[in-house]
Amino acid sequence: MKIMTALRLTGMTLGISLTAALCLSASAMAKGTGYIFVSNEKTNNIIVLESKTLKLVKDLKTSRRPRDMHFSDDHTKLYVACGDDDVIDIIDVAKLEVIGKIATGSSPEAFMVDEQKRRIYVSNEEGSSMSIIDMDQQITLAEVPTGAEPEGVWLAPDRKTVYVTSEVGDLIHHIDLEAGHVIEDVVVGTRPRRFAATPDGNELWVTTELSGEVWIIDRGPFKVLGKIEFFPPGMRKTDVTPVGITMTSDGKTAYVTLGHAAHVAVVDVPSKKTLSYILVGKRSWGITLSKDEKTLYVANGLGDDITVIDVASRKAVTSVPVGRIPYSVVIDE
Amino acid sequence: MNELIRPYVLLFALCCVSQTALAQLQAVTPTAATQTDKKIPIGFLELKTDSRYEPVRAYERLILKKPEHPFPGAQVGIEDAKSQQRAIGAEITLERMTAATAQDAPALLKAAIERGMNYVLLDVPSDTYKSLVEIAKGRDVILFNVSVPEDILRRDVCARELVHVFPSQAQMSDALVQFLVSKKWRDYLVLQGPDPYDDLITKAFTKSAQKFGARIVANQRFQPGTDPRQREKNNPALLSAINKDWDVTFIADKAFEFARQVPFQTVKPRPVVGAIGLETVAWHWTWEHNGAAQVNSRFSRYAPNRKMEGADWAAWMAVKMVATSALRSRSTEFKPIRDFMMGPGTFDADKGLAVSVRAWDHQLRQAVLLAGDYYVSASAPLEGFLHRTNELDSLGDDETDTPCHLNR
Repeated sequence: MKIMTALRLTGMTLGISLTAALCLSASAMAKGTGYIFVSNEKTNNIIVLESKTLKLVKDLKTSRRPRDMHFSDDHTKLYVACGDDDVIDIIDVAKLEVIGKIATGSSPEAFMVDEQKRRIYVSNEEGSSMSIIDMDQQITLAEVPTGAEPEGVWLAPDRKTVYVTSEVGDLIHHIDLEAGHVIEDVVVGTRPRRFAATPDGNELWVTTELSGEVWIIDRGPFKVLGKIEFFPPGMRKTDVTPVGITMTSDGKTAYVTLGHAAHVAVVDVPSKKTLSYILVGKRSWGITLSKDEKTLYVANGLGDDITVIDVASRKAVTSVPVGRIPYSVVIDE
Repeated sequence: MNELIRPYVLLFALCCVSQTALAQLQAVTPTAATQTDKKIPIGFLELKTDSRYEPVRAYERLILKKPEHPFPGAQVGIEDAKSQQRAIGAEITLERMTAATAQDAPALLKAAIERGMNYVLLDVPSDTYKSLVEIAKGRDVILFNVSVPEDILRRDVCARELVHVFPSQAQMSDALVQFLVSKKWRDYLVLQGPDPYDDLITKAFTKSAQKFGARIVANQRFQPGTDPRQREKNNPALLSAINKDWDVTFIADKAFEFARQVPFQTVKPRPVVGAIGLETVAWHWTWEHNGAAQVNSRFSRYAPNRKMEGADWAAWMAVKMVATSALRSRSTEFKPIRDFMMGPGTFDADKGLAVSVRAWDHQLRQAVLLAGDYYVSASAPLEGFLHRTNELDSLGDDETDTPCHLNR
């Protein structure tokens, strides 16, 4: 296995990050602001909304093509992968400012943060690889080859294993972090995109966009357990293009965005049955549950808005215009 | 990636790797863990001299178009299949075979089949197909048509060993008329050139107009030239000065000499489609949905000096169909791979609905793009054009439209 063992260091970002780290210690105890963050691929910004009123707090400029976002464990920082500048921007949540950048591979899309090990695992869409980044030194420790167009990244609770989808390869890669390469693959439906996992971490749920399914994978032994198809009312099977997925903390309910079918599917996890469909906007992708699990937020990529859903009544409450091509929604709470 | 603003310092590299572009190419190199002795060889058969790839010139030093063989498309397909090697259990390889003349092509194909090549992409003109199909008949081989739209290959040559990945004329003209009808532009002025191919294109367009309830209000034959005595045949304004109104001007002009003079020169302000203006294509470099942007970007690594076009897409797709069929049938053997491809197989074409092979004439059912210079105005099938089983079958020959019935 030929791994990119070359350590890459960007002098520019190192300086910024050290300063940033010092400044941040003071605000490290910040409480949740309740702000909603929506990344917008085409307008190179994050729209920050107040969660109660849904009013605009800030139009936060980022590097180009912001996509996947994750908070640091203490929520003082928000990381956002910016695909057209090959960086992950670091945002100070209290100041709502970009305070640093971490270089990635070509066109970073999705990532996971391991704060204990101080690592970021990021899929590089154009690079057909996953970068392992040291957060403190801000250097790429390794670039693990994957199938073409890698997207979803999921870090196992043992922090020794990462799973990555390859949209073109129709594969889920099992990457052993100690070995530093893919050790096995499992074949799923067409164009696998993103992950959710059951709370025990045993089952991985993967959306397969073009075959219109969610595939369920047993992590040990690494094999396919089954798949779920979707039939939202009034929609053709071919419109069903699932991308986003999230699960409640009790592992009982999963919510899946169905892309061009403009619905969110509500799935009972134990029985793997779809309970209902909620109408949302055009090409729904990113989906996030509020901490109390009472509200769902869905990014409508071709509607330039987000849909806010009341979980209890399974109804869309309102939609809010954001930037162009919204990708992901996260909430600071 | 800009080297100036992102200086990489390589600490552990034994040899100096200064370009991230190089690093990315290395990242997709087959690795020890995926190495396997088994191979699935794919051939790419072309002719050394193929008039379709002659530059289109206004005169010697003014080159209007420079068509290129779609081989880089197949190379991208091979790159994409690399990560699937481990799961397939075989390496998919690509061999470019160039026949000196059309007469040499059958022998080259025969030798390739005999050394175990089961999949061959054909990038040859339509009149070469018959001799190649003769060689393939009854053998364990699939020939992929990646560059010829002529309906005659689907309707009359109609061979079990052929799969037409490139869209047919019928699919493309249906796509165009669906788009025009969706705009309620139903009356067409046809300007037809002297080439026999222009006649084929016009016939396909006329048939599509009938199919979707549109009308050809006039069919004017043009003759390129500047002879004032022939001005009724070589002047776009005079050719379009007809005693009826029309919505859209359709041009059939393989030579492309006349077509480029037509936009903005008709007597009435009417959009121009066909050979110029809004064109019907299998792929366009500005298509940015369905992961197309990433395919275009991977293509540019193999062909940095041009944009990805329809035949490139078809070559990429053909390799992808072999790889996906091997992956899904969990086999490296010919029969299961063929049975999957011709049967239940659906493939991600990076342009909308999943594509698959029509059982009756082995045409790949697929979306067709309607593109101007810098934008894809629409993807057909257009919304509202329905079909009882698959909307993609609203384009081109449905089972009842063709004399070819490979499934019977």
